[in-house]
Amino acid sequence: MNSNLARLAALVIAVVALATLPFWAHDPYQVHLATLIGSYWVLVAGLNLVVGYTGLLSIGHVGLLAIGSYAFAILAGQHGVNPYLAMLAAGAIGGICGFVLGLPSLRLPGFYFAMATMAFSMIVSEFLLAQDTLTGGGAGTSVPAFTPPFATPNGLFWLVMLIAAIVTWLTWNVARLMWGRAAIALRDSDVAAASVGVPVFSIKLIVYTFSGITAGVAGSLFGSLQSYVTPETFNFELGLFFFICIVIGGRGAIVGPLLGTVVLTALPEVVAPLAKLGQFFYGALLLLVVLLVPEGIGNLFAILREKIRPRRLEKHVVDPDLARLTSAIRSTPVS
Amino acid sequence: MLTAIITGLAMGAIYAAAALAYNVMYSTSKVLSITTGHIFMISGVVGAFLIGGLKLPIVVSLLGSAAAGILFGLITEIVAIRRVLSRSDEHLWLLSTLALATIFQQAVGLWWGTEPKPFPRLIPQQFTSGIWDQKFWLPIGTVAVSVICLELFYRRTLFGKIFVAVSEDAFAARARGLATDRVRAISYGIAGLLGGVAGFAAGQLTYAYFALGLSLTLNGFIALAVGGLGSNLGAVVGGVVLGLLTSIATYYFGGAYQQTIAVGLLLVFLLVKPEGLFGDKRTRHV
Repeated sequence: MNSNLARLAALVIAVVALATLPFWAHDPYQVHLATLIGSYWVLVAGLNLVVGYTGLLSIGHVGLLAIGSYAFAILAGQHGVNPYLAMLAAGAIGGICGFVLGLPSLRLPGFYFAMATMAFSMIVSEFLLAQDTLTGGGAGTSVPAFTPPFATPNGLFWLVMLIAAIVTWLTWNVARLMWGRAAIALRDSDVAAASVGVPVFSIKLIVYTFSGITAGVAGSLFGSLQSYVTPETFNFELGLFFFICIVIGGRGAIVGPLLGTVVLTALPEVVAPLAKLGQFFYGALLLLVVLLVPEGIGNLFAILREKIRPRRLEKHVVDPDLARLTSAIRSTPVS
Repeated sequence: MLTAIITGLAMGAIYAAAALAYNVMYSTSKVLSITTGHIFMISGVVGAFLIGGLKLPIVVSLLGSAAAGILFGLITEIVAIRRVLSRSDEHLWLLSTLALATIFQQAVGLWWGTEPKPFPRLIPQQFTSGIWDQKFWLPIGTVAVSVICLELFYRRTLFGKIFVAVSEDAFAARARGLATDRVRAISYGIAGLLGGVAGFAAGQLTYAYFALGLSLTLNGFIALAVGGLGSNLGAVVGGVVLGLLTSIATYYFGGAYQQTIAVGLLLVFLLVKPEGLFGDKRTRHV
């Protein structure tokens, strides 16, 4: 009860601190950074269900992000659709693309699936370059801002935080209840999960489609924040970054990947030398985590606690009734 | 058109070499390493640096490139494979090889620059020789020779038979007293040698470019999936098919949808014939 109360208090404090961030931030850039983290998190939260819970190694989610961004830019910018409707449409388009991508590729085993998603992100950037009448080709296209009340940078920040909170709540519900349990069972052993009646393929497909929807929404928020996108914005390294956020944060949790996203986005901004190293630093971090703490940094404390003070294992002494056993064996007819 | 076919054959030879490197590593470790394409990238960059930067003779540079490839293969095995395989059977090797590939790609990008740089000429020749240009024939010839050498090594030497034994059944090989760990490490070295030599020979076609690795990893994998995992003949056929298809498609439709066509080929094969042209149907372990 007490820890629940403490957790609730921490949540309230975090929400209040985040909601008032534009008032106590030192400069607008910090708000920009927080908005960026928020829009990344909208995608990573959805991807977390795919990578962290279902165990599908999707390294090419940046393709779906690009689709969301461009759908939003084309609908809201070129056709004058209401930005909020355009955002929903971008989510829907992202979901459809995730569904269509998942339909063949989710049947493939691990490495094949990873390669298929990576190829998908490359195909998307090829299309963005080739369809230059629609997307502006290599020069890119400008992305409109949202209409009031979320037109200012601070407004966009609140909008992103609102959507991030909704998505987090959705994924928390999914992860905690039946779907999440099924996904975890499937991640740990798909054969065992199928044998107890988990519909393996449809769970994978639903989770992947959901992550496509969040990626589409995240794409429209991200594009609106950047205000100008080119195919070069959505390079493969960005997709790898999302993936690394989750793996470093820890699989099968929500707080870990959230911390991973925040730290990995903010760290290169705070520590200048890291920005120059960029992907090199992410790669090194991923290697360290995979080799030393494959459960993720989010679970580091639990592991350390286990190492320092192991849980006491309960002993069950097996004490068979030998006399009864022998008589049972004796009485069995030898066939 | 003839140029398109020759280009396709030469690119196909590189894809085939990447698929072969996949095979060599997969046979002993059952791991498909993402670092496969990066062997070629590193050997190309090292070769261009040794010839163009340090002005070393070509033979020495070739040895240097091959050494870099072998070294990279061994590093992959020691850092990314050994610990992970000894710990669990999860797909953690995918993450560790991905991390290692990213590290090396970005390190090369930081050191060498992110622009593709031309690879020096290896044999004095005019640039007007068209389809007889060395940039096409060097990779084709090199890969052909390495395929033959690899097959001879596997089939005719005792040492090669050890590799076949480990790839057939690692437990049985271990029970007969073979050091399977060492065999695995050496197979990564062999893949490094193969990639190092092929990457050096193909340097003039691919350029010394830091992002080459990832695209070769993908295309080599497509060649492998088309030809069939575990089959060296399949790797060569798959590579040549993929190279010819993309270059002829580029000739007719322009280069905008190159990757899409390659991946389309992959998807068709995975849907119609998942085990590939020459692969064996493996039963799934429960």
